[in-house]
Amino acid sequence: MPSTLIGADPASAALTLDGLTVDFAGFRAVDTVSTVIESGELRVLLGANGAGKTTLMDLVSGKTRPTTGRVFLGDIEITGLEEHRIAQAGLGRKFQIPSVFRDLSVRRNLEVASCRNPGVFANLRLGFSLAQTRRVEEILAVVGLESKQEVEAGSLSHGETQWLELGMLMAQDPKVILLDEPTAGMTEAETMKTAAIIKAMRGRHTIVVVEHDMAFVREIASRITVMHLGRILAEGPIAEIETNPDVRAAYLGSKGIQ
Amino acid sequence: MKLSKRGLNTAAYVVFIALILAAPLVFDVFWLNRLSKYLVFGMLGAAIALSWGYAGVLNLGQGLFFGLGAYAIAMSLKLASATSLAQGSDTPIPDFMLWNAEPGAPTELCCITQGSFLWIPFQHTWFGILMGIVLPVVVALALGLIMFRKRISGVFISIITLAVVLLVRLLIVQAQPLTNGFNGLTDLGYLTVLGLEFDPYMPQTYYLIAISLALVLIGTRMLVETRSGLILQAIRDDDRRARFLGFDVPRYQAFFFCVSAAISGYAGMLYVMASEFASPTFMDLSFSITMVVWAAVGGRNSVLGACIGALLINMIEATVSETPALMEAWRVVIGLAFVFAVLFLPRGLAGLAMSLRDWLVARSAAEPRSLAEPAPAEERS
Repeated sequence: MPSTLIGADPASAALTLDGLTVDFAGFRAVDTVSTVIESGELRVLLGANGAGKTTLMDLVSGKTRPTTGRVFLGDIEITGLEEHRIAQAGLGRKFQIPSVFRDLSVRRNLEVASCRNPGVFANLRLGFSLAQTRRVEEILAVVGLESKQEVEAGSLSHGETQWLELGMLMAQDPKVILLDEPTAGMTEAETMKTAAIIKAMRGRHTIVVVEHDMAFVREIASRITVMHLGRILAEGPIAEIETNPDVRAAYLGSKGIQ
Repeated sequence: MKLSKRGLNTAAYVVFIALILAAPLVFDVFWLNRLSKYLVFGMLGAAIALSWGYAGVLNLGQGLFFGLGAYAIAMSLKLASATSLAQGSDTPIPDFMLWNAEPGAPTELCCITQGSFLWIPFQHTWFGILMGIVLPVVVALALGLIMFRKRISGVFISIITLAVVLLVRLLIVQAQPLTNGFNGLTDLGYLTVLGLEFDPYMPQTYYLIAISLALVLIGTRMLVETRSGLILQAIRDDDRRARFLGFDVPRYQAFFFCVSAAISGYAGMLYVMASEFASPTFMDLSFSITMVVWAAVGGRNSVLGACIGALLINMIEATVSETPALMEAWRVVIGLAFVFAVLFLPRGLAGLAMSLRDWLVARSAAEPRSLAEPAPAEERS
C-alpha cells in the first residue's frame, strides 16, 4: 500500500489513488489527487466543468496514462495498464456519452458483458450458462428493459441506453464501477429511475460517480469529493461539503447546494 | 404451422446446400465446371461477410489470401505435371524455370534459378495443400496484429490491405524466374489425394468444392454464433466499450481476420483445381473489389447472403457475356448494382430475405393458436 495514505484500512480500500497527476504539455488536468474509496462506498465526484473529473476517470480506467502517481484496485496496482487489463482486474466504467453495442439486441449486449473469460479461444462455444442467463434476466428486471430485450440497442431511447449500459456494468460485475454523469440529458423521472438503479447496484459494487444534478446527489451520496482545477478541494459527507466555505466559493455559489 | 426465425434461417441453408449438391443432376460437365468456380467465389463472399459484416473490417485485399492459397497448391500441381517431369532431370522442374535459367545452370530445383530451392518442399502435394492455408493465415496474423494493435480501423485498414495486395502482386510479377511472372502457373497436373484424381471436368471435383462450400458456410455461421462471434460483433459496434469490458480487442479482430484469410486461401486452392491455373490477376485490385461488390449485393451481414450474391452476379455475368454487346455493358451493370445496393439495400438481398422471414414469422404468430401449442421461440436473425 502507498505510504502516504496512512490511516486507510488496506483491507477495506477498494480503490486507492496516490498522488495521481497528468500533465498535458504543461497543463495539469489532474494534480496530485490522493484519495481512498472504501469497499462498498458510493462516492460522488463534484466539480465545475474542467475540474478534471472525467480526466481522473480516464487515468483510473487506463484511457489516459498518468504522468506520476499510482492507482490501486484493492491491493493490485493498475497504474498505466491497458484498458482491458484494468477491466479484467475488476474495474468497470460507464461513459458520459452512452456506449452500447448498437446492432446487437439488448439481451445480447448483456450476455456479451457477462462473458467472464476474456479469451477468444475460451469463448469459442455456443450458448451461455444457466447462471449467466439467470443473472442477465435479473439485470433486465433491475434496469426495466425486460420487454425490450429482443430490440436492437441502437433503437433505444437515450434514457434506456443509459440504463442498458448500467446493466452491462452489472453483468460485467466488477469490484469498482466508475460512472461518468449517468443522468446527463435525462428527464426528472428518468433521473430518479437511474438513482434507483444505482442504489440497487450499491453494496455489490463500490461506485464512483461524477454528477452535477444535486437532487440526484442528495438521493444517492454518502461521501462527496469536490474537485477544483485538477485538485481535491474538499472531501466529506454531504452536510460537511454543503457548509464548507471553500466549496461554496469555488463551486456551489454562496447559496449552497440547491 | 408456427414459424421461427431460426427455423427459417436453417431452412435457407438446407435448401441452398441441397441445391448445390443436386446441381450435377441438371448441368453438363462444362457448366458444372463453371459452376464450381462460382461456388469458390461464393466461398470468398462468405469470407468477406465474416470480415466486413461481422468484424467491421473492410479488407480491400482479400485477393492476397486467395492468391497465396492458389499459388501454394499450383506450385505442387505444377511439379506434378507431365511437362515438369519431362525436362531431362530426375526430379520435376517447371518448364518456365528452364526458359528463365542462366546459361549453364544445373537442371535441379536447388539452383536452376534464383530462389528456385523454395519449390523443393512443394514436390510433396500435402506440403502445397498445407501452405495454401498456412501462408494466408501467417500473413493475416502478422498484418492483423500490427493493424489492430495500433488501433487502425475503418478506411485505413482498407487502404493498407489494398496496398499490401498490390505489393505482393508486384513481387510475384517481378520474380519471373521463380513464379513465371505475368503468365502465372499454367499447365498443371491434377491433384491426386488418396488415389482419387481430381480432374476439373469430373463430378468428384465439383462435389469436393460443393461440400467444401457447405462446410465453410455452416462452420462460419456457427462461428459467428459462438460467444467469440458475439463479442466480435460487439467490437464492431463499439470497440471502446468492448475494451472497457475487459476484452483484448486486437486478439479478437486478428483471430477472425485469420479465419477469413484461411477461408480465402482454401478458396484459392479450390479455384486452381477447377481452373487449372494460378495467375497474378488473382491479386488484381479489381478482383478484390469485385468480391466486396458480391458481398454488398448479397448482404454483408449474412454469410449465406454474401455467398449467394457472388453466385448470382457470376451466373448472370456468364449468361450476359454470351452476347458481345452486353459484355461491355456488364461492367456498368455491376457498378450500378453496387450503387443501388448501397443506396437502397444496405443489407443486400439477405436484408430483403430477412424482412420476408420476419413478416412470415409475424404472420404465423398472429394466426389463432391451436391448443397446447407452445409459443414460437424468440430468435434473433
